[in-house]
Amino acid sequence: MNGQYASLLIAIPLLSAFFVPLIKGLGKRAIKSYVLMITAIQTGIAAWVFKEVYSTGKPIIVIAGGWKPPVGINLYIGYFAALFILIVAVVSFLMAVFNFKAVTIEPIDKYAMLFLLLMLGATGMIATGDIFNLFVFMEITAITAYALTAYNKTGEAAEASLKYMILGGIGSSFFLIGVALIYGATGTLNMAQIAQLAGHINPTVAQVGLALIIFGLAVEAELFPLNAWAPDAYQAAPHPVTAMFSAFVVKAGLYAMARVLYLMSSVGTWHNVLKLLVVMATLTVVVAEFSALRQRNVKRMIAYSSISQVGLIALAFALGTQAGVDAGVFQMVNHAIIKVLLFLGVGYVAVQLGGADIENFRGLGRKMPATAFGITIGAMAAVGVPLFNIFWSKLRIILATLQVGYTWAAFLVLAASVVEAVYYFRLVHAIWFEGEGERVGESVPLVIIMIALAILVIAIGIYPNYAWSISQKAGADIFNVAQYIKNVPLMGVGA
Amino acid sequence: MISVYYFGSIALVLIGLYGVLVKKNVLKMLIGLSIMETGVNLLLISIGYIYGRSAPILSEGIGPNQAVDPIPQALVLTAIVIGVATTAMALSVAIILYQRYGTLNVEEIRRLRG
Repeated sequence: MNGQYASLLIAIPLLSAFFVPLIKGLGKRAIKSYVLMITAIQTGIAAWVFKEVYSTGKPIIVIAGGWKPPVGINLYIGYFAALFILIVAVVSFLMAVFNFKAVTIEPIDKYAMLFLLLMLGATGMIATGDIFNLFVFMEITAITAYALTAYNKTGEAAEASLKYMILGGIGSSFFLIGVALIYGATGTLNMAQIAQLAGHINPTVAQVGLALIIFGLAVEAELFPLNAWAPDAYQAAPHPVTAMFSAFVVKAGLYAMARVLYLMSSVGTWHNVLKLLVVMATLTVVVAEFSALRQRNVKRMIAYSSISQVGLIALAFALGTQAGVDAGVFQMVNHAIIKVLLFLGVGYVAVQLGGADIENFRGLGRKMPATAFGITIGAMAAVGVPLFNIFWSKLRIILATLQVGYTWAAFLVLAASVVEAVYYFRLVHAIWFEGEGERVGESVPLVIIMIALAILVIAIGIYPNYAWSISQKAGADIFNVAQYIKNVPLMGVGA
Repeated sequence: MISVYYFGSIALVLIGLYGVLVKKNVLKMLIGLSIMETGVNLLLISIGYIYGRSAPILSEGIGPNQAVDPIPQALVLTAIVIGVATTAMALSVAIILYQRYGTLNVEEIRRLRG
């Protein structure tokens, strides 16, 4: 099959989102099945793209409208994008099952539309090869995320959405100023060509442009001074949406940040930006872990834990070495798996028992044993217990950090992990050793999903080599900019 | 020579940023956000501007050599649409906020914390 069919990854969710109003008359069940079907198709195409990219070893370059880059806009689906588009699609599919089985959100038709558009936005951010196109997809993701955050229409949801919107608005303006500066200096928006020309432009302009873009993306990537919206939004959003935020919306922001960062690596003053990012990432980890310790609401607690792990990924990307980027990608994969597991479990408990406060989790081991098992596995993995997947990626990130010589960062991150252990074990203790309760019925498909994810967590924990080799390839895709430039067939214009 | 438009656009961005950071009323913050977006759009346009040339619309007497850079204009068109969408979204959230809290003062809208 022709690689150009990969453009369906963008086309299918976009088109199908606009067909939702047409099937509205068929009832709620029809809409839920429709979302399930579209996400399943998306997963199928993503799996095909993944197989294609990893078996041939060549990235798929989708050339929109037959205009060759840099004149036209291209999609670049290399090792990294193929892997993460698959993760986005699978997570969306699982959350569509969650929607189908447990969650009642009204009005469902608009929710289904936004759900598909959120998937589209993240896919586009990961796949695009054009920096302005990246901005457009980022805004699609952000606007749907604002709407989904406010979807419950409570005061809290509106408040969280407003915070997100103000920060996101400032971030996107700064991003656009950065794009304007880089466009003014290089005369191109194609990412490969920007990388080609980055070494030739005025280093001050490049540094300021890069810093502004990083600042803009740091809002989406939840780095420390700009992540105040995140715990609120995670807490107030509908449960499936929270899992999607944590599993891939923030990842798309992080990826975009890492990609733009490494594209500009031939700029002379590049290391100044890296140092700034290392500080921001370390602070993200520390501040988020200590905030998590104080939470009574489990969903909010896991949101903080998610932010701290995202900080860890950002730290890995900010090291500027191959080992760091590989470890960061590995952590991204592992984090996506466990956060889907945790937010699915917590969301399901909140649906069944009427809230996500820690009181609702007392005696969960007796009330909902399978869910309790899933949450426990997720919690153990998040702490970084050996033989669970996060252990390996945390270890590799810390080793990579020490290699570069940031001993203080490695020390702070390890200290924060101890804090993380405290609140996760408090949760596990509440689940298994406190409270009494009657058995509550659990939905079979959701239990199957949770068990499957738990098995995946342990499988990667025991045999990390396969996942690690995939992550290494994906990491090289980000780190090796020369190869990236070579892969995009520029028309021989420019330098 | 640095174009005067650059100063104007950066000034607009800063005025907008001031509005977002300092004002207490949600609507005023959103107006600040819009001013900021306008400033960014002006910056984009002025980056593509070449002195003495006309709009990049192919017509009689205007070829590629008589027009300014068309790409920033296309970008701004997109950015304006995105800005409108964000503003509409934000205003509808502001309506919900006013219904639930009875105020638009951000200091009183603080149920989520910690």
